[in-house]
Amino acid sequence: MKSLRVAGTVGDLPTVTFGSRSLMWWGTLGFMVIEGWTTAIILAAYLYIRQNYETWPPLRTPYPSLLIPTINLALLLLSIIPAVFVARAAKRLDERRLKRWLVVLSVACLIPLVIRWWELWALNTRWDTTAYGSAAWTIVGFHTSLLLLDVIDTLGLTLFYFIKPMPVKSFSDASDNSFYWYFTVGGWVVIYLIVYVGPRIL
Amino acid sequence: MTGPNTNRTLPVEATVAEDDIERDARALETVWGERPGFWSWLTTVDHKTLGKRLIVTAFLMFIAGGIEAALMRAQLSRPENSLIGPDRYNQLFTTHGTTMMFLFAVPIMTAMGLYFVPLMIGARSLAFPRLNAFGYWNFVVAVVFLYVSLFVNTGPDVGWFAYVPLSGPQYSPGHRVDVWAQVVTFTEISALCGAVNVIVTAFKMRAPGMTVNRIPIFVWAQLVVAFMIVFAMPAVATGSTLMLATDRAVSMHWFNPSEGGDALLWQHVFWFFGHPEVYIIFLPALGMITPIIETFCRRKVFGYTPIVMANITTAFFAFGLWVHHMFATPIPELGQSLFTAASILIAIPTGIQIFCWLATMWISRPQLTVPILFVLGFLFTFVNGGITGVMLASVAFDKQAHDTFFVVAHLHYVLLGGGVMPLFGAFYFWFPKMTGRKLSETLGKWHFWLFVIGVNVTFFPMHILGLEGMPRRVYTYLADTGWGPLNLVASIGAATIAISVLLFVINVIVTMRRPVNAGANPWNSSGLEWSVASPPPSYNFLYAPLVESRHPLWDISVDLPVLTGFRTDRREVLVTTTFSAQPDSRHEGPTPSIWPLYLALCMGVVFIGSIFSPWFVLGGVGLSVIGLAGWGWTGSKPSGHERVSTPAAMPERA
Amino acid sequence: MHSVFDPASPQARAVAHLWWWMFGVGAAVWLAVMAAMLLSLRRRRAVRGPDELMQPAPGMDSHIERVVKAATFVTVLILIGFLAFDFSIGRILAQQPVDPLTIELTGHQWWWEVQYANQDLSQRIVTANEMHVPVGQPVRFILRSRDVIHSFWMPNLTGKRDLIPGYQSTIWFQADTAGTYRGQCAEFCGLQHAKMALTIIAQPKAQYQLWYAAAVSAQTEPADSTLLYGQRIFMTSGCSVCHAISGTQAYSTVGPNLTHFKSRTLIASGTLPNTRENVARWVLNPQAIKPGTQMPPSPLSTDQLSALVTYLETLK
Repeated sequence: MKSLRVAGTVGDLPTVTFGSRSLMWWGTLGFMVIEGWTTAIILAAYLYIRQNYETWPPLRTPYPSLLIPTINLALLLLSIIPAVFVARAAKRLDERRLKRWLVVLSVACLIPLVIRWWELWALNTRWDTTAYGSAAWTIVGFHTSLLLLDVIDTLGLTLFYFIKPMPVKSFSDASDNSFYWYFTVGGWVVIYLIVYVGPRIL
Repeated sequence: MTGPNTNRTLPVEATVAEDDIERDARALETVWGERPGFWSWLTTVDHKTLGKRLIVTAFLMFIAGGIEAALMRAQLSRPENSLIGPDRYNQLFTTHGTTMMFLFAVPIMTAMGLYFVPLMIGARSLAFPRLNAFGYWNFVVAVVFLYVSLFVNTGPDVGWFAYVPLSGPQYSPGHRVDVWAQVVTFTEISALCGAVNVIVTAFKMRAPGMTVNRIPIFVWAQLVVAFMIVFAMPAVATGSTLMLATDRAVSMHWFNPSEGGDALLWQHVFWFFGHPEVYIIFLPALGMITPIIETFCRRKVFGYTPIVMANITTAFFAFGLWVHHMFATPIPELGQSLFTAASILIAIPTGIQIFCWLATMWISRPQLTVPILFVLGFLFTFVNGGITGVMLASVAFDKQAHDTFFVVAHLHYVLLGGGVMPLFGAFYFWFPKMTGRKLSETLGKWHFWLFVIGVNVTFFPMHILGLEGMPRRVYTYLADTGWGPLNLVASIGAATIAISVLLFVINVIVTMRRPVNAGANPWNSSGLEWSVASPPPSYNFLYAPLVESRHPLWDISVDLPVLTGFRTDRREVLVTTTFSAQPDSRHEGPTPSIWPLYLALCMGVVFIGSIFSPWFVLGGVGLSVIGLAGWGWTGSKPSGHERVSTPAAMPERA
Repeated sequence: MHSVFDPASPQARAVAHLWWWMFGVGAAVWLAVMAAMLLSLRRRRAVRGPDELMQPAPGMDSHIERVVKAATFVTVLILIGFLAFDFSIGRILAQQPVDPLTIELTGHQWWWEVQYANQDLSQRIVTANEMHVPVGQPVRFILRSRDVIHSFWMPNLTGKRDLIPGYQSTIWFQADTAGTYRGQCAEFCGLQHAKMALTIIAQPKAQYQLWYAAAVSAQTEPADSTLLYGQRIFMTSGCSVCHAISGTQAYSTVGPNLTHFKSRTLIASGTLPNTRENVARWVLNPQAIKPGTQMPPSPLSTDQLSALVTYLETLK
């Protein structure tokens, strides 16, 4: 066997990175693009159904109520704050602060998930009454699954940090978790506007 | 010595001694190698093992779909034949289409990518090995679910695109369509996992020096297709899982016109996926042609940049054609004209690729090996299919040909000619790399001739049958339609195809009994995959190769220079920057894990269970939480000293 | 009788014309590509022949570049030419008919409900699966579906149009040659999609009007006792639950209208010739001929069946 020419070493490269230097960040981004695009498709289908009705919502269907959804929207937007602090602590490799803010974030994203149950019923229609109801429930239901996934993720990460020694790369994972949370909240803003506010305008 | 500019050949400064090479190889084999045994088989995360497994499973699906086709052709070989009744026949043609499109074509093209992309870019693994396993097991769930259902007479029977209202709760009671809808769910999950893996691997794990314009064309094609999967698959998943399944299971009204729903909405959502789907199958095959031509013409392909641009352009155009499947529906004619124009113009980028290949062959001296023969078969067959495709772009003509055997002819010409023929060529070409043995050229030639003749004898008459009034999806036809003779010819062609595929299977079986003797680069080809042993070692590359051209093995007269310095006590892969592929960090890859299989089974519980009761969904989600916990737990073990780079410490490089 | 190559209307003729041009140009392109492919093999090497790499020569590459660019340019020209030609054909086909005869066609699993529209209700015809049209007058179809998507297609006369529940679409053609034309449902619609054929008989105006006058009339009460017996069987054995015969007490619209059943050339939506024997077979057990069809078997004795069929034979 010939000997190989060495043109350099990778030995002094870092083994834990953050943001777009990290593979997991790209994986998270990929998931966000897929789920975001799916949301866009369902929203397009929702708007397509609009043309089959003269009024929107259909006759005898009340407007979605705004009280609970607006409160929940505010809670979701507020929950971005602990997410930002989690990311900041993670990038500083500050485990103590990270754990503290992870607990806050866990509570902050769990509450909206629970309220989401009432938010579904705030649509003021069932999914099996009209195509409008089907579309509205599908969008909100789909987003709920994303919400649930991220709550599970956040709770799991928080729990792990308290019960076992975590590797350094988990700081990067915590930062990516916040990244995903921003997307989940941001996507909801669009859905809230189209599904809860929209019928009053469209 | 890792300078920022790795574009010029660096002087020979050091070498790795043979002893050190052996020591490193043994250490890496310990860390990356797969243990024998059933548990290891279930928990593997090796992209080569999973890639081969996916190729084999998907090829078995090709055979299953072929058997379904053979049965259909037997039934149609004579007018008013009573071999197969309408109910069975409807299940057969639906399962044939669903199998070929969802369980064979996309998975096998993805599998070639999952196996070869890391090897072609000099990487030791995919970016997300466990996600790869998860994707494979979801695919297996789809296969088992569809075929068990077929055998208990619950196979879907509404066509592979399942138009509503026929596939809705009112006209398809029972669970046949629910089976279809969830098969789509699992294959969608599988394809998306593969796509994310290909994108991130190709972006972030290329060998140092493999800048964007040195990426092999095969990898470009896979990358472009991965993006297409990301934007197309969600549409069919939304349609089948979130709309059709819910209409059927919980009385939603997406497609119920009497409650504001819309039968055409299904067609839009489905075909928005369905048209890109065929390019998802076709473009990887085109990506296989370039390396085959280069190798056996002994010349770099003419037009690297036009070919890459053509791939990208085709991918974009493919998303703007879907309405040409709906020309017979009452949608506005102005809209239809736009889709006619797009459907005609998409021929241009594909034409450019073909001209570049013809040019390469014209100015060189091609060797007529079996892979090249299949490329010629592709040209003979696909160009025909492409031309009938342009014809179908005309709304006026399409209204005569739509939903007839003319379309069946067209689609098989482009899928078999444009997809399967290059794929067979690729099998003969890369078989030695995957298994260490070359397939028999003699059997290969028989396979080739019988396949090409068989495809043309089967499908050419169908152009005529369609224009003579024969619609699709008919289990029989009257004698006085006059369609009997051409149908008989087509059925004889189908038998020929079956024999040719049998020859290929025999070739594979016989070859696998021979000893491993192909060597690293039996064809003297130029890609990085040919720089490692055949079959490749578990870790692919002992060190990170330094790439300085598009054709690394042809442009360097001695062995490739490498970058050393990896840890050998854990699975370490190199992460590079996105565009210029400069070494950026090292990443620890996962060890074998049961959680991908477990989670795929949970997906099975959730989605198959959803057909029967919402409690299965809840239970399945609960079980999944355990799986996610296990995945997360086993993926977060501290393992020794880390070098950390936070955003504050080191600015990001492009 | 059902061929795109055998047009019997200006609409179908325009498309056939388009087809032959596309075929000619397409074949020429394919042959050109095949010729280039075969010629590119003229200097081929043996498989185990010399292995050295071909080095690209700059002059050769720029020459090739010009050829590829030219080929691309020619391709673009051909495609744009085709696009223009296609649009011109499209514009011809988009013209609206003048003073058309209007027929309402409703798709069912697995038969075609035909209604000749008319302001004057006494001039309406309701029939199934077979219709007559006058030569030389445009005929406009209003297409609806009662259940799933079907597709109306008469290759000799016009391209197809889907019948979609929740939508109403139209299509028109003008038959310019007399004859009997056949089509089949062209959108998969379930178990008997394969046996959902349609017949259109184009007749010179005078003959058409004779047919129309007969078709509009109701049936009279049968005089013969066998016929009366047959009619009674029709009314009491379940037939009238689905089928209507104008001039009798049977007026259900679930199944095909049988008022002028015997005047049709085929039965069971174009599946069998309308002979006594076939009608008997069909009535006794439709499931044996079209498994899955909506019509149940009729448990009739030989005598009953014979009388019923005799009665049906009088419905001209």
